[in-house]
Amino acid sequence: MNTLDFLMQGFSVAFQWQNILFAFAGVVIGTAVGVLPGIGPMNGVALLLPITASLTAGLNPENAAASALILLAGIYYGAMYGGSTTSILLNTPGESASVMTTLDGYQMAKNGRAGAALAISAIGSFVAGIIALVGLILLAKPLSRIAINFGPAEYFALMVLGLLAVSGLVGKSMTKAIIMMLSGLALGTIGIDAVSGSARFTFDIPVLYSGISFLTIAVGLFALGEVFKTVLENEKLDGRIIKINRVMPTKQDLKDSALPIARSSVLGFFIGVLPGAGATIASSFAYVMEKKISKDPSKFGKGAIEGVAAPETANNAAAGGALIPLLTLGIPGSGTTAIMMGALIMYNIQPGPLLFQNHPNVVWGLIASMFVGNLMLLILNMPLVKVFAKLIDTPIKYLMPLIIAFSVFGVYAVQFTTFDLMLLLVSGVLGYFLSKNDFPLPPLVLALVLGPMVENNMMRALTLSNGDYMIFLQKPVAAIFLIISALWIIIPLILKFRNKKL
Amino acid sequence: MNRTFDRYAGILFLAVAVFFVTESKSISTSSYGSTVGPNIFPLGLGILLGIMSIRLIYESFRYQYEENEYVKLEYKRFGILLAASVIYCLFLEDIGYAIATFLFLLIGFQTMKKGKILFSLLISATFSVGVFYIFNELLNIPLPSSSNWLGIL
Repeated sequence: MNTLDFLMQGFSVAFQWQNILFAFAGVVIGTAVGVLPGIGPMNGVALLLPITASLTAGLNPENAAASALILLAGIYYGAMYGGSTTSILLNTPGESASVMTTLDGYQMAKNGRAGAALAISAIGSFVAGIIALVGLILLAKPLSRIAINFGPAEYFALMVLGLLAVSGLVGKSMTKAIIMMLSGLALGTIGIDAVSGSARFTFDIPVLYSGISFLTIAVGLFALGEVFKTVLENEKLDGRIIKINRVMPTKQDLKDSALPIARSSVLGFFIGVLPGAGATIASSFAYVMEKKISKDPSKFGKGAIEGVAAPETANNAAAGGALIPLLTLGIPGSGTTAIMMGALIMYNIQPGPLLFQNHPNVVWGLIASMFVGNLMLLILNMPLVKVFAKLIDTPIKYLMPLIIAFSVFGVYAVQFTTFDLMLLLVSGVLGYFLSKNDFPLPPLVLALVLGPMVENNMMRALTLSNGDYMIFLQKPVAAIFLIISALWIIIPLILKFRNKKL
Repeated sequence: MNRTFDRYAGILFLAVAVFFVTESKSISTSSYGSTVGPNIFPLGLGILLGIMSIRLIYESFRYQYEENEYVKLEYKRFGILLAASVIYCLFLEDIGYAIATFLFLLIGFQTMKKGKILFSLLISATFSVGVFYIFNELLNIPLPSSSNWLGIL
């Protein structure tokens, strides 16, 4: 079968009634979650991950995985879109990726063009989604064909690169990011080792034998951590919400933003494909690029529609691009995709080059549903944007305890132990204090997901080489990955050193 | 950057690293005659984590300035909410999901901000009973029940 046949098969999966329902629910819930104060895409996906597990419990594993992934992906880009709503109407970006949108978006809203700004970001997101989809279709096959020749040594090196790439790009201090990454890997070793079957760090405590649940940690760190932050720091949304008048953009608006949308989709997609570089970098690159290209750069920051179209398009294109390393190589490039990978593993489906061979329904179903989801997002958001904007007013008095209750429920419905509930609360408290002090959380979650696979591949490579560590340098591909990983750490250090001297 | 927090965090991570290194000694060093055993990976992680923690402690001594941004934290509100959460989680299985959640939410809402008790009661009841009913009855995911001591829910 060629790619087109697979895509058609994917659409037949995406058009199953329950999957349309899941995509719809995902987009609606995601948008709502993105608009709600204090919850971004990563928190939203983490918070709702356990629920997807419960909802799909009745299906067979393959269908359940496809449906869960469709739902999560819907939540992901729904939340991205919701985040831009708050940036435009309230000057409060829901997550770092929509910071750039506030620059011109809020100005546009102040000038009475909130509707046009929201509409253009919906249109931009839609185009970005479609371009990312095309890129995914074109790139996924060749990439997974290369990756299929990888042995354990190459995989180990690739994962090391993926982990370091994410750790090197988030947060202010690389030391802290690497500490978080190592802690994640360390947490992953608790339990029964898959290779040898020996129990490690379990101290004869039965609940530890199955290992530390990724789901519990992710929900705790991201969802509860945010709640505790809001409760402790008494965050208030002070800005006045700007009324939306006309939703449809004018012809001139569309004309002005057509080219920026096209350029930013492509740029965002390729940035998204790189591990570690995610939506945040894509949106700021796109904004800066448009400002440079523009004939009249002075209008940026004063409500230029290009300044909304470009970053919004780029961050959605990057979200699509980020799925490529996840699906083809099994390496998530961001916190959110790490959570989605955790979801796949929960269904016993191993992301990576074999995914396209072994579970075509899951991959192509997801790819097709991205198209369906993007279309729904567009159709849904143009008329409903005013309704969603109302959610910004949700009082945190009710929201915060409800999120705690929801997290507890979600974790309990999957794990069924009091131990996991305690672990959830501990992760929440730690998540707050760590992220407040610039210890980035995504590397830990990513490492917890990848940990067992990193170790598995390392052990297999070492078994092949009879314990000779040089195997990682003798295989050329592995050596290249490891050299890039090393440079990733060394170059910033050199730059820092030189800056100090100057 | 918070010098004190980073220093203590560094020491704590160092302790974890030492713990990992010492504990991995008790894991078998070989499996099925292979020269590498399941102890290698945790041992390596422990060593790397140790190095990075020492680096963090070292860095924390070199912070140029002590930032004094003073944000008044709502410790009381946070404390009550956290305590309520701990009690809620510990006794969830004994009390039953619906009742425990109802109580937790009610306390939570009132801790966040006093007042509007009727509205709080209504939301707590709807959420707790609603979730219990949907998951227990419709989706067949059993949540802890209170029927053994209350007769219902």
